[in-house]
Amino acid sequence: MMARVKAPRSVFVDFPLGRQCGKPNEPELQTQILKDALHVLVTATTPGEMVDLPYEWHEPFDWACYLRDTEQMLNEEGSEKQEWNPKG
Amino acid sequence: MSRIEYVACLDQQYQSQGFPPYKWSEFDSSPWTPFDKPLEKSSIALISSAGIFRDDQEPFDPWAINDLSFREIPVDTPFERLKLRHNYFDHRDALRDLNCVFPVHRLKELEKSGFIGRLVPKAITFGMGRLYKRTALQNETVPRIVELLKQQGADAALLVAA
Repeated sequence: MMARVKAPRSVFVDFPLGRQCGKPNEPELQTQILKDALHVLVTATTPGEMVDLPYEWHEPFDWACYLRDTEQMLNEEGSEKQEWNPKG
Repeated sequence: MSRIEYVACLDQQYQSQGFPPYKWSEFDSSPWTPFDKPLEKSSIALISSAGIFRDDQEPFDPWAINDLSFREIPVDTPFERLKLRHNYFDHRDALRDLNCVFPVHRLKELEKSGFIGRLVPKAITFGMGRLYKRTALQNETVPRIVELLKQQGADAALLVAA
């Protein structure tokens, strides 16, 4: 998605959605991610440049995990999964 | 670990349910303004798409479609006064620590330590999922946000895509 949008400068953190600035209650990691992003702000020279940051999530995750986690979240919170119907 | 191809996965998911293909934004080029200020003299604005609003503001609909609205959040707002409503991503870690998607505490610390000159006083939250009104977003919402950032003297904006 980022490659299509081509923000002037961007960094990619390979964490699941909802943790782009780091893990909860890990201020050192959060700070480092921000410093890395701000560093790119002042050092990037190519429009659309994307820098991959080296941080790794503690376990593998994939699309199935995203579906499972969001469903678990809704169940925990007692929210109904929204059923969308494409218009005919 | 191989990365999730969100575009392909979302396309597959929704088209298999009968939705027409989503027109993802795709640009051939990237806008560019050189950034020549040292960070320690720069004013940085925070923008987040995590569906965060203050308890006295209009809530975001967690299942929003075509929500072009945004909120201005004073960066000193205590987290107890902030709400997150967004069901298109697993927000449980963000609820444990909003800094995961709205890193104001860390940015305030970077300001205090002199790493950045200043965090502008009002952060912006907008960009709920399932947006089809691309033109309205670009022509109506975004110029208003840009104006607010300019009024606050922002030199750059950090966009956190939740």
